[in-house]
Amino acid sequence: MKIIILRLMLSGAVALAAACSTLKSPTAEATVKTEAPQVTQGKTAAAPAATDELDDYAEVAAFDPLEPLNRIMFKMNDCLYLVVFRPVSKGYQCVLPKPVRKGIDNAFDNVKYPVRFVNSSLQGKFKRAGQETGKFLVNSLGGLGGIFRVSDKVPDLVNVPSEDLGQTLAKWGVGHGPFIVLPLLGPSSARETVGLAGDYVLNPVNWGFFWHGGGDWEHDWTMIPPAANTLRSLPGQLDIYDAATKEAVDPYISARSAFIQNRAEATRE
Amino acid sequence: MISRILLATLITCSFAVRLAASPEEAQQRLQTAVDEVLAVADRVANRATMAESLRPTLQKHVNFETMTRRAVGLGWKTFSPAQQKQAIQLFSTLIIRSYSSKFTPGEYPVINYQKAQTPAAGRVDVPTSMVYKGSRYSVTYRMEQDSGWRIADVVIEGVSLVANYRSQLDAQYKKGGAEAVLGSLSKSVSRSQ
Repeated sequence: MKIIILRLMLSGAVALAAACSTLKSPTAEATVKTEAPQVTQGKTAAAPAATDELDDYAEVAAFDPLEPLNRIMFKMNDCLYLVVFRPVSKGYQCVLPKPVRKGIDNAFDNVKYPVRFVNSSLQGKFKRAGQETGKFLVNSLGGLGGIFRVSDKVPDLVNVPSEDLGQTLAKWGVGHGPFIVLPLLGPSSARETVGLAGDYVLNPVNWGFFWHGGGDWEHDWTMIPPAANTLRSLPGQLDIYDAATKEAVDPYISARSAFIQNRAEATRE
Repeated sequence: MISRILLATLITCSFAVRLAASPEEAQQRLQTAVDEVLAVADRVANRATMAESLRPTLQKHVNFETMTRRAVGLGWKTFSPAQQKQAIQLFSTLIIRSYSSKFTPGEYPVINYQKAQTPAAGRVDVPTSMVYKGSRYSVTYRMEQDSGWRIADVVIEGVSLVANYRSQLDAQYKKGGAEAVLGSLSKSVSRSQ
C-alpha cells in the first residue's frame, strides 16, 4: 500500500513538474508579431478612468475570488523557487555551456510540435499548422533532430506564433474563469489549467511516462524526458518570473497582471 | 484667385505631408533613442553603475511624467504637486533600475523595427522584434508627442509596463490614498537588489 501511495506521489510530482515546462515561455518560443499589437490592455467597459486624452489604460481585469489563498500559494512557490529551483537552475547553467543549453531548448521545443500543430488546426489556422509541420521537418532533418533551429533561416518559418490549448479554448469563447496560482507552476486560471493538462498529454516528452501509467518501477526511464524537460526550462521560467516580480510594488498583482496581459496577447496572435 | 487656390493647396499638401511624416518621425526618434542607450550601455563595464550611467539618456527619451501619471491612474488628481513630483522621481528610479538590470555587458540585442502604427493623433506604436541572448521577444514602443516624440510605454510580449504598474498602484491607492502609493514606491526603490 505504502509503495502504491509513494508511486502515486512521485508520478504526480513528475507530471506536475513536466507540465511546468509547457508554460508559455517567450524565451523558448519565437513569437513575433507581423502587425502592431493593441497596446491598450485589459480595457473594461465600466472604466471611465483617464488621466489625460491619450490615457486608454484601465486596470487589467482579473477575476480573482481566491486571492487570499492564491497569495499564500504564491508565497510558498516563491520560497520553493528560492530554495530548490534556483540552485538547481544555477547548477544546470554552471555545468552546461550556453550553446549546449540552447541546443537542448531547441530540441525540446521542436519535439513539442504536436501541441502547436493540433492547436493551430483546432483554431482553423491551417496555414499556421502547415508552417509548423514545415518547421518541424526542416529542424528535425536539417537541424539534427531540432538541436539547431535552421528554420529561422527560412523567411516563411521565422514568425510563427505558437498555439496551445489555452489559446484554443479562448478562441472558442471560453473565459479564463477564476485566477489560480498553481503549486510549483505559478499563475494560471481555470481555463489555462485545463489547457496545460491537454498540452501535457499532447507533448511527446510525456508519452512514455503516460503510456506506462507513471511510476512503474520497471519503466523508470520514462521519467527522464519529462524531468529533463523541466530542468532545461527552469532558467527561462525563472527569468520570466523575475521580470514580472523583481521591481514590482506588489509582486503578486504584477505577476497576475503580466499573466493576463500575456495570455490575451497570445490569443490575439 | 488662382494664387489663393494654389496657396491653399500648398498649405493642405504640406499639412498632409507633415501628418504622413509623423509615424516615420516617431520611429526615427525611437531608433535614435535606442541607439544612444545601447552606445552608453556599451561603454559601461560595471553593472553596478549601469542605472546611473543610463539615467540622463533615458530621461531625455522617456516621458516619465506621463508614465507615472498613468501608472498611478485616477488617484493622480488628488496628489499634491509635491507628491506628484516625488512619485515621478521614485517611479522613474524604479523603471531605470529595472531596465538597466536587463543589460549584460558584451551582449548586443538585434532589433528589427516593423511598420509603425498610428492608433490616435499624437501617438505612434512601433512594433519591434528583438533577439537578445539567443531569445526572441516582441517589444512594442508606444511613442507620444508633446515637446517632441518620446517613449510613453513599453509592451513586452503583450505586457504593458504602465498597465502592469497601474494594477499594482491602483490597489495601493484604494488602500491608503497618495501616502500608500508613495510609501509602496519608496519601499520598492529602497529594496536591496
